Amino acid sequence: MAKTLNQGKEKLTMSLFNSLVSKRDDAAAGTRQQAGNQSAIRPAFKVRQKEDGFAVTIYLPGVAKSGLEITAEANQLRITGRRTWRQPEGWTQIYRESADAPFELTLQHDNSVDADKTEAEFRDGVLRLALPKSEALKARKISIS
Amino acid sequence: MSPWAGLETEIDRLFESTLSGVAGFAGGARNQFPVDIYEDRDNTYVRAELPGVSRADANVEMVDDYLTITAVRKEKAEEDSFSFSRSLTIPEHVQTDKVSARYEDGVLTVTLPKREEAKPRKVSVAING
Repeated sequence: MAKTLNQGKEKLTMSLFNSLVSKRDDAAAGTRQQAGNQSAIRPAFKVRQKEDGFAVTIYLPGVAKSGLEITAEANQLRITGRRTWRQPEGWTQIYRESADAPFELTLQHDNSVDADKTEAEFRDGVLRLALPKSEALKARKISIS
Repeated sequence: MSPWAGLETEIDRLFESTLSGVAGFAGGARNQFPVDIYEDRDNTYVRAELPGVSRADANVEMVDDYLTITAVRKEKAEEDSFSFSRSLTIPEHVQTDKVSARYEDGVLTVTLPKREEAKPRKVSVAING
């Protein structure tokens, strides 16, 4: 039941943000694609459509700037974050909810986004990306002569 | 009415309370957050994943055996701001007045010094005879 619910949500995301979707949405639809790292965790993230592009917020607790990597490929943007913290010697684990696995998120777009002009800001475990829409796709006012 | 009716609700409730803690993290949208607890000889440590919180908007409180962490993640748009809260029972006796906290890379680490009587002690026992 949870899966159906989840799929419904994914679909909604896709229709809302037609040109920027998380890659695992495809996996839910049946066309399973092999992600690079199987043990990776998909971080919590938000996508907001703006007039001139998309604003993406990704939550990556425990990741330092040195562990963060953003790769722009043909029609996708991949974000990976390794956790830098290691359990110090002498510490015993009593209770655990977090994971050691790295974060990985792949966002696909149909090139309506100018990924080369992506602006990224990373602070306190939160990555904020501003993805501008391609010039060609921006709404333009056409004057009538 | 089935004599089990009451029991079923009780079981459901138990399941809910057990599972809700786990389910809350998946979406990242509930007001709970993942915590880890560690200890060494002198301290108990609580690590809480709270990305994007300003130090001024996080609050740590220790009352008796209960540690309560509350935080607000403020966003530019006020309706996107989010409040978190979680209480934990700390298994060891804590020197309440010496609790300290540190925030780094979106993780809050609370250090709770153990009271002397809670620390492991090495006692030499003379064996006679």
